[in-house]
Amino acid sequence: MERAIALQAREATHRYADGRVALDRVTFTIATGESVAIVGPNGAGKTTLFLRLCGVLSGARDQFSVLGLDPADPKHRKQLPQTVGVVFQNPDDQLFSATVTEDVAFGPLNLGCSESETRARVEESLARVGLPEHGDRVPNKLSGGEKRRAALATALAMRPEILLLDEPSMFLDPRGRRELIALIRELSCTKLIATHDLELVLDTCSRVILLDCGKVVADGPTVEILSDAMRMEQHGLEVPQRLQRSSPQLR
Amino acid sequence: MTIAVRETAVADSRFARWDARWKLAALLVASVGVATLRQPAPAYVVLICSLLMCAIAKLRYRHVRDRILLLLFGILPFIAILPFAIADDGPARTIGFLRASERGLIQAAVLVARCLTIGLLAMILSRTAPIPQTLAAAHALYVPATLVLIAQLAFRYIGVLFEEARRLRIALWCRGFRAKTNRHTYHTLGSVAGALLVRGGERAERVSAAMHCRGFDGTPRVLQQFRTAPNDIHGFLVVLFGTAAIVLWDRL
Repeated sequence: MERAIALQAREATHRYADGRVALDRVTFTIATGESVAIVGPNGAGKTTLFLRLCGVLSGARDQFSVLGLDPADPKHRKQLPQTVGVVFQNPDDQLFSATVTEDVAFGPLNLGCSESETRARVEESLARVGLPEHGDRVPNKLSGGEKRRAALATALAMRPEILLLDEPSMFLDPRGRRELIALIRELSCTKLIATHDLELVLDTCSRVILLDCGKVVADGPTVEILSDAMRMEQHGLEVPQRLQRSSPQLR
Repeated sequence: MTIAVRETAVADSRFARWDARWKLAALLVASVGVATLRQPAPAYVVLICSLLMCAIAKLRYRHVRDRILLLLFGILPFIAILPFAIADDGPARTIGFLRASERGLIQAAVLVARCLTIGLLAMILSRTAPIPQTLAAAHALYVPATLVLIAQLAFRYIGVLFEEARRLRIALWCRGFRAKTNRHTYHTLGSVAGALLVRGGERAERVSAAMHCRGFDGTPRVLQQFRTAPNDIHGFLVVLFGTAAIVLWDRL
């Protein structure tokens, strides 16, 4: 059975004010429930793509479709927060309230949820990310892993249908990273993960889109893309250790 | 040297149990009343009262003492010139070639008492409830939402800013920088301050993006339930009538 389209980019281009082209005719389609990794070297356009998808960066209309909404359309943009959850690269950018509870409640309150509904969502999200006792903590005092999980809880509390995760394993120690991978695997929504952590990609994504200089260089099954040693090297990446171990000729 | 923002737990006390809205309203009324005092006797009485309130609020002696010293240091320039700046025909004391009028000395003493009292009241407010709760109370008392939001973000990010400054300081230290009173030091510190501002600006943009992604439309909404108990109103009335009585005494 064919699944509905969750995300679509059609010849999407983004040029910054200084003339730099961050996205260059990017085209892809992601079905609902898919877990897709966006990989590429620094400056490939991964974060710009995310910012366009969630409507933070404005651009030309009809280039992106997020469950039928156009992020470039101001009317549609207002509906995006209840559709798309974003977890930013640095959790300190995302955790801006004075306590974790307030931070997680921020989104649902903006969506117009009642106080009881908001409290229920906060409890549920914090329990889901394994921080049920951390509601009264000050975000600044959390460890790197706890901050990351709290940031994820802020997005989950909005109950999004699509989750955009920007470098989710950054700042995490091995245990925190393992816990995050388990958590991402549990989430049933559509996921788009921008990362350099290719081991995480192997564990969480069935499909990879390789982006370089704002262009889609490759799009296909994870193992197929990540095990192409020549292409990976050409675009500033390496075949993950796990694939190298299983196929020594990839070294 | 490292810079850090310390978090301290709120000690259980009558003030800590007081509904944050009523407490904020009461202490604001008291502060406004204190600011209008002109006579020394009422000013000294309110200072003693505020010290007693600090004791009831179970504020730590050392903390109160340190803040009082800091406040005195801050107002020192104003107190120091007041006795010499207010001239009258009354009795005066001569220090070398300077003539300190008695009225000026009294005014300086009243100023000290007023400043210390307001400072102590602010300390009671900030140390008997978590800052977010006090800010939520301010929001509930119709303080403009933008001001509450600015205060909330400042409270959240001051630690991040200090941490950023600490990192820059370590980076400078590792590259052999030692602060001196020379041009190179001022130039370096200026560059560091500039870098901090730029980083602050970039972070502000990212925070703004994160807020918009979660549906923020410019109206802060807080998750704070306040419940008024009879004691909260009694406390407010005691402070209100006490302040009114002191102000009347001052005017008589």
